[in-house]
Amino acid sequence: MLAEIGLASLTLAFALAVYAIAATACGARRSSAGLVLSGRNAALLTFPAALLATSALVGALMTEQYQFAYVYSVTDPQTPALYRFTALWGSQKGSLLLWSLLMSAFTSAAIGLNWRAERRLMPYAIAFMMATLAFFLGLSLFVENPFERWWILPDAPPAEQVVSTALIPPGAIAPTEANLRAGAEGLNPLLRHFGMVIHPPMLYLGFVGFTIPFAFAMSALASGDLSTGWIKATRRWSLIAWICLSIGLILGGRWAYDVLGWGGYWGWDPVENAAFLPWLVGTAFIHSVMIQEKRGMLKLWNMALVIASFSAVMFGAFATRSGVIESVHSFARSEVGFPMLAFWAALTLVALAMLLWRWRQGELRDERQFANLLSRESLFVLNNVVFIALFLAIFWGSFGLPITSELLLGKEVTVGAATFEFYVVPLFIAMYVLMGVAPLSAWGATSLRRLGAALKLPLGLTIASIAAIALSGTGIAVALFGYGVVVFAAYVALIEIYRGAAARRRALGEGWLRAVSALFRRNQRRYGGYIVHLGVTVIGIGVIASTVFQTETQHTLARGEAIAVQDYALRYDDFIRAQAVDGRMMNIAAVTVFRAGGEIARLRPRIDDYPQLPMKIAGAHSTLENDFYVLLMSGDRERATFRIYINPLVNLVWWGGILLVIGTVIAAYPKVAPASAGPKSEAEAT
Amino acid sequence: MTELSWQKPKHPKKKRSERLKFISAGLLILVAVLYLLISGTLQGARYFITVGELLDEASYLGRTVRISGAVDGESIEYDSEKAIIRFEIVNISNEYEDLATALHEALLDSNAPRLKIVVEDAAIPDLLQHEAQAILTGALGQDGVFAATELLLKCPSRFEESTAPEGLSRIPEHQ
Repeated sequence: MLAEIGLASLTLAFALAVYAIAATACGARRSSAGLVLSGRNAALLTFPAALLATSALVGALMTEQYQFAYVYSVTDPQTPALYRFTALWGSQKGSLLLWSLLMSAFTSAAIGLNWRAERRLMPYAIAFMMATLAFFLGLSLFVENPFERWWILPDAPPAEQVVSTALIPPGAIAPTEANLRAGAEGLNPLLRHFGMVIHPPMLYLGFVGFTIPFAFAMSALASGDLSTGWIKATRRWSLIAWICLSIGLILGGRWAYDVLGWGGYWGWDPVENAAFLPWLVGTAFIHSVMIQEKRGMLKLWNMALVIASFSAVMFGAFATRSGVIESVHSFARSEVGFPMLAFWAALTLVALAMLLWRWRQGELRDERQFANLLSRESLFVLNNVVFIALFLAIFWGSFGLPITSELLLGKEVTVGAATFEFYVVPLFIAMYVLMGVAPLSAWGATSLRRLGAALKLPLGLTIASIAAIALSGTGIAVALFGYGVVVFAAYVALIEIYRGAAARRRALGEGWLRAVSALFRRNQRRYGGYIVHLGVTVIGIGVIASTVFQTETQHTLARGEAIAVQDYALRYDDFIRAQAVDGRMMNIAAVTVFRAGGEIARLRPRIDDYPQLPMKIAGAHSTLENDFYVLLMSGDRERATFRIYINPLVNLVWWGGILLVIGTVIAAYPKVAPASAGPKSEAEAT
Repeated sequence: MTELSWQKPKHPKKKRSERLKFISAGLLILVAVLYLLISGTLQGARYFITVGELLDEASYLGRTVRISGAVDGESIEYDSEKAIIRFEIVNISNEYEDLATALHEALLDSNAPRLKIVVEDAAIPDLLQHEAQAILTGALGQDGVFAATELLLKCPSRFEESTAPEGLSRIPEHQ
């Protein structure tokens, strides 16, 4: 029954989306309010229909209906309830359905929030959102149907007796429950981690979120309403998409760190990079959009960035899901590759053609010219250049070079992690420098002397900090330089917050806490942005320290034996074999970690024997200072081999991520009632 | 007089000089980014070849390349005390419809080119399994062993959505 409900609601959602495209587009062209309204209602109904389809699949997962080929492939009778639920995004078919559900939810929210204010933009915006949704629903319906069930065709030749189809074939019988339960395959053990519970939906939310700004931008191009309406309608959506993508990327890093057992969190894998690319373009957009709002400039550029971010999302989806890119992450090679490539190419070309058409008509002219190289808008443009250069470098290394070389040389040429680091390190340095300098310059024009005066304090503090770090024993010049660049940006953000609050204190006599809170309420985007900058600097410090100073050693110890690693000692105490509730056997090493003669932690690194593969689960003693990270490589009661990583300041990467999320929430939070009116402080005025 | 006639176009000239600054800065950035991309690519680019191509072409001997092959599970050895992994990979063709089938068939083909791999100072990855696809960066030595400095693995057969599992085809007893 669940299969029939799922299939019917999926078909209904697809039909509604297709109808909504036709109705809103025709309604807009013929100025028919009734048709547009009908299209809008159809678009709103896609959400309950997609929700019903997804609920049917979740129901099948939770109630162990292994006749569903999807349930059979991602769960087994031992799978715990949480992972039974998260198996919804454990493989291609379920995750495509989830993508559609999120897309329909975002569309409904966008219609609900923007219908009244942006009536002119809505019809075409709905048409573009529905086009994307119809594409993904169509993939689920016709290519990767999650409601296919196993059937036996008794009259067919033996090799073709078992089939999985969405509709019941004539004369088919169902496999026995016992056979189904015995054969069910279980969730990929790599996906059984809290990071994987949230990481994929967050990434999908980010990806889907970028569809909304794209749809509004396309609507502005199609309708000719190129005022700032589309920017206002999409500003917050861009931030929501950006924050979800940021969380998704950070959790992906955390998952890699905890599960993949190599002591790192970013491997420059093509699929990781595919998710990072829209983030880079999105970051460029959320900066440059401010220039269009404040100065009426960069209209063409912003439109191009929105198109590029959506195009990067679709390309990332293609790269991840088609299986054409060799990566540890990619889904199995599947038939969605070609349709995805075609959809990506078609939408990108249509968008660029429309952009070119409006540009040639002179409708995207800027209201002002850049007057000064050191003005804030110029520095923002430079910031955009850095993000786009990062985008191009990572795209080139991940996809451009392998594809171009294959076409021109007939041989694939690729680059490794070291080359990506070579590309990105100078660009990230430039990014941090700009993050520090740009907030100190003024809109319109800034003189070198004024900028120099503003730089004195943060630069002085930076030099003092580097000297303090060097005196504490950190002698590696690269690390000192890196710390310097990053803390400079952090000091600027802190000083700006301090200046704003101090101005309020002087003018209104407020206490520090009240002044800071009022400052954030009065200018959420600016000060939320500074918190984001602080988060990025904290991540930067974590990345530098854990990359430059990571140590990695391997030792074999007899039971009771201890080994010194830097100022730590690790003792191998015992070896335990135990069975987990889901039936897997766990080989657990009990170890004790000492520092300065005292015991600081008892860790349990282990190897879990899953039917598909063994998995090493690290034991880690985490402090802000470092992670003492231990992997059990092999062992028995007498001897065991451990790989020990000491990762300095690695936890700052996650803490910085949290700060970044808090800052974005502040910046994107719907405007609260204005705080007590006060004079516009010096900082706020800039 | 002369001064007056020079003062009038002062504003456009300033504008022009600003524009010149923007163009120079833009060109400088473009050159810097291109330099970064080109020099990084020249230093780090590696041919991504098959085991067969590596063994057939003498010019690859000693050169750092990236190769891909099917892991033979029985050949995997791990010296945990010295942290050295040894295993063998078998050639898989560049052109395949389905990676899992290609890996499976490659390991059944006794005539397919094989290559011994050694990876030093490495933790043995969980995904190093029979019929995994190994993507390795390193160089083939005179001894015929490929010394890898980077090892990536992919196990498509283990997590691919099912295609007609044989166990299901048993006709239910009551039928």
